Amino acid sequence: MADEQLQVSDKEEISGAEGEFTREGVYFTPPVDICEMEKEIVILADMPGVKSDGVDIELKEGILSIEGNIAASDVAGEELLTEYQKGNYFRSFRITDAVDGNKIAASLADGVLKVTLPKAEKAMPKKIPITTG
Amino acid sequence: MFQWGFRRDPMWAEFNRIQRNINDLARQMGTSVRSSIHPFWRTSRIFPLLNVVRTDVSYIVTAELAGISAEDLEIKVEGDTVVIKGERKAEDFGAEVSYHRRERTSGTFHRSLTLPTRVEADEVKANYVDGILTITLPIEKAAQPKQISVTAE
Repeated sequence: MADEQLQVSDKEEISGAEGEFTREGVYFTPPVDICEMEKEIVILADMPGVKSDGVDIELKEGILSIEGNIAASDVAGEELLTEYQKGNYFRSFRITDAVDGNKIAASLADGVLKVTLPKAEKAMPKKIPITTG
Repeated sequence: MFQWGFRRDPMWAEFNRIQRNINDLARQMGTSVRSSIHPFWRTSRIFPLLNVVRTDVSYIVTAELAGISAEDLEIKVEGDTVVIKGERKAEDFGAEVSYHRRERTSGTFHRSLTLPTRVEADEVKANYVDGILTITLPIEKAAQPKQISVTAE
């Protein structure tokens, strides 16, 4: 894995067909990793340019939505090269697993949002001891 | 992107549709109107994608690089060329996990960019905040624009 060359992946813009955003600007779908552990589900989302006060996470009726709004940049000058577009991020997931909504934790580091969804007690796997005798 | 007028005229709706398609196609091909005007700046498809802005005194190169530690980034400047090298490491959660999705990529990258003029290599500054790398490259003194005052006698 380490020797693999990173390839350019285009940012996926969200079209207005799914319902427009009230805030003006371009919205992209952030790429995510979602992995499930014994006690929690962790979501990692790439949102470069977003500061912690620009993040909005909500779990409502089984839909977890994450939104990242980028801070306005103050670089002024002649644009010589524009290979990527800047924009906000939005993505939502239907959470089917039983998740304890009160214990959702989130952190943001180097443009990566990490959302930890602890599983509800009843959804935790229970070990059933087998007795021989 | 250019725009035709008469947006409300239904006759022009078809033209607007074609215009949108042309613009979409141009975007898909990784080109923009801008890069065809400036042949010097070919839009490349090498990671990371870069934006370059020129101010009076410097070039500002930015790249979106989420989830990289600053020590894994290497920036070199020589004359008019800047080289960005680095690695994005995969998050390690151990073996006991099951992945639902893996869309974030990891690996190494290496990109060099030639600027229109030489830069002051000693004064180049690189900054990595919130997943955005910003490199400020001061333009060599000899290449900076000079204000000529006009005298009238």
